[in-house]
Amino acid sequence: MALDYRKCAEEIYSHLGGRENIISAAHCATRLRLVIADNSKLDKEALENVDGVKGMFESNGQLQLIIGTGTVNKVYDEFLAVTGMTAATKDEVKAAAAAQAPLWRRILKVPGDVFVPILPAIVASGLMMGIVEAIPKFAPAFGATDWFSFLDLVANTAFALLPVLVAISASRVFGCNIFLGAVMGLMMVHPALINAWTVGNYAAGEIPTWHLLFFNVQQVGYQGHVIPVILSILLMSYIEKWLHKHVPEMIDLFVTPLCTVLVTSFITFTIIGPVFSVVENWVLAGAQVLITIGAGLGAAVMGAIYPLTVVMGLHHMYNVIEAGMISSTGVNTWMPIASAANFAQFGACLAVALKVKNQKTKSVALPSSLSASLGITEPAIFGINFRFMKPFACGMAGGAVASFLASHMHGTDMAGNVVPFGATTYGVTGIPGIPAVNNTGMYLIELLVAAGVAFALTWIIWKEDEQPKAKKEAAPAKAAEKIEAPKTSVIRCAAGAVLQPTKGKVIAREQIPDETFAAGILGDGVGIEPEEGVVVAPFDGEVTSVADSKHAIGLESNGMEVLIHVGVDTVSMNGNGFTPAVKEGDKVKAGQKILTFDRAKIKAAGHPDTVVVLLTNSDDLENVECGAK
Amino acid sequence: MKSFNYTITDPVGIHARPAGILVKEIKNYVGTTVTVTKGDKSVNALKLMALMGMGIKQGDTVTVSIEGENEEEVAAKIEEFFKTYF
Repeated sequence: MALDYRKCAEEIYSHLGGRENIISAAHCATRLRLVIADNSKLDKEALENVDGVKGMFESNGQLQLIIGTGTVNKVYDEFLAVTGMTAATKDEVKAAAAAQAPLWRRILKVPGDVFVPILPAIVASGLMMGIVEAIPKFAPAFGATDWFSFLDLVANTAFALLPVLVAISASRVFGCNIFLGAVMGLMMVHPALINAWTVGNYAAGEIPTWHLLFFNVQQVGYQGHVIPVILSILLMSYIEKWLHKHVPEMIDLFVTPLCTVLVTSFITFTIIGPVFSVVENWVLAGAQVLITIGAGLGAAVMGAIYPLTVVMGLHHMYNVIEAGMISSTGVNTWMPIASAANFAQFGACLAVALKVKNQKTKSVALPSSLSASLGITEPAIFGINFRFMKPFACGMAGGAVASFLASHMHGTDMAGNVVPFGATTYGVTGIPGIPAVNNTGMYLIELLVAAGVAFALTWIIWKEDEQPKAKKEAAPAKAAEKIEAPKTSVIRCAAGAVLQPTKGKVIAREQIPDETFAAGILGDGVGIEPEEGVVVAPFDGEVTSVADSKHAIGLESNGMEVLIHVGVDTVSMNGNGFTPAVKEGDKVKAGQKILTFDRAKIKAAGHPDTVVVLLTNSDDLENVECGAK
Repeated sequence: MKSFNYTITDPVGIHARPAGILVKEIKNYVGTTVTVTKGDKSVNALKLMALMGMGIKQGDTVTVSIEGENEEEVAAKIEEFFKTYF
């Protein structure tokens, strides 16, 4: 039976906690991807049971509903109609999700977000530049032809005017008008400014200078610069948003763009540009030093830790360094290291693929290793190497050795001069990197060493009977999830028993170091001197309240109302040190973890950490009996 | 029915212990129903859990309604109680 798209969309919508709880919606090939304001308002169980939803998971701040190829787009269209939302692109959904990530992650994400979209332009230019520059080495006459001159122009356009691409991409990332962003980028490489690459031909005093207020601004362009451009656009996004908010709508159309560009360009040329081109030069110099110091040891270290940065998702940051290197020296000496590191992961993964007997692992490892050889290492790293850990470490070793070698290699540029070994582009490693490097023979040797070392080490060290690390971790986690009800009870009455929620010595209510609790004003119960900072549910029941200050949880079961209050006077800690694992309305099983607390923090705040367990409606219940049993 | 508004001045608000003594106080007045309202949420003040679940904090204004026998007299006593403890 065909799925009723409308009904499916309506049902999904009905379980999302209202229109205002949906920040944005998009879909990919199989999934409906939603960013939700408050996940606690979702009815997850109901969502999974909607006819047409094949599965659901939460990842990166997105709620993803698996609907299926060919169906998801139809459900999505209906979903937009039902909710009255406008279509969001996947990027917008990712941006909305990122807004919910912590600040440092958002900052680290910026370079990747800016550079990944312009990769096609960079790769096209870079590879063509590699080929165009390689030909004259074999056929010197080619360098004098019109074809060479034409292809050279085509190849270097993206790099010569890189700030424009960066500005446009950054405008999309920071959410400002991309045409104004383009204007900023174009301005920074305006033909009326002295080209940053030829400024060396001028004597210091000859460079034309503007005198603007207190600033002396040299009329030099920002060819090859990246960081000043990104920061300029970031600034522009704030100025633009501020103006949109404060300028009356009638004149917004012309006042806002005018003021945005004017203010941004002034600050860019007077402060951001001069300051951050210097900072950028330091970063580049630092990176170049890092990979050349210690007679190649620096490079070896970088080659080893590179895959770790891939695992953490930080490797897109290197784009800034690589783009800067190409723009300033024409040689990306970072690329051989990235290549060594990536190709070593290929070697390690291939060793696993050939050695493993488990068909399932083999079927993952083989294509993953092929993909890694083409420079896309994520499947190999996450699917195989990092899971088994040893292949990953062997890959790191291979990367280190090959990077060390690479730092001792040299290449030649078009004119036959000896230059450091590197590439003319970035964003390509492994086999696709071949046309981009300035010494193909050396590059092949480097790749062979990287993969060879990693392959050999993995082949020797890794044994199949070792389970994937993730599985090992999952096994005890599963055991922990298997909820075990505590064996002793602390309060019993006609309606049932309250099991001991925290390990430790049970004391009589009268001994709780607090008058109100001890006097039984809140009900009869016991105190527990905790041995560990974990509270579990004392029965199968429902959570009726979680204090704002997180230190007390109320539960109900079969007419018994129980308050578990951790520590005395701990309300004044305002939740610091307490982590509830449940929320109001949750159903819990006896023994299920409901709260963790930090005993040291309670002690440090000067409070007793006695866990108070009270049957708050003990007056209404019969045969109430307290004490451990 | 009698009712009064009260703005909480106790720094911890009506949490476990204060809520406990309020419940205890109200239990003294058999035959009256006391309701505490904050915003659009109302609870029977005899229900300790419900009362705590309201998350009443310093600065919040609550409405206390008393219904039943001797409500005039009881209301005065409860208002006095709020002023003393919260």
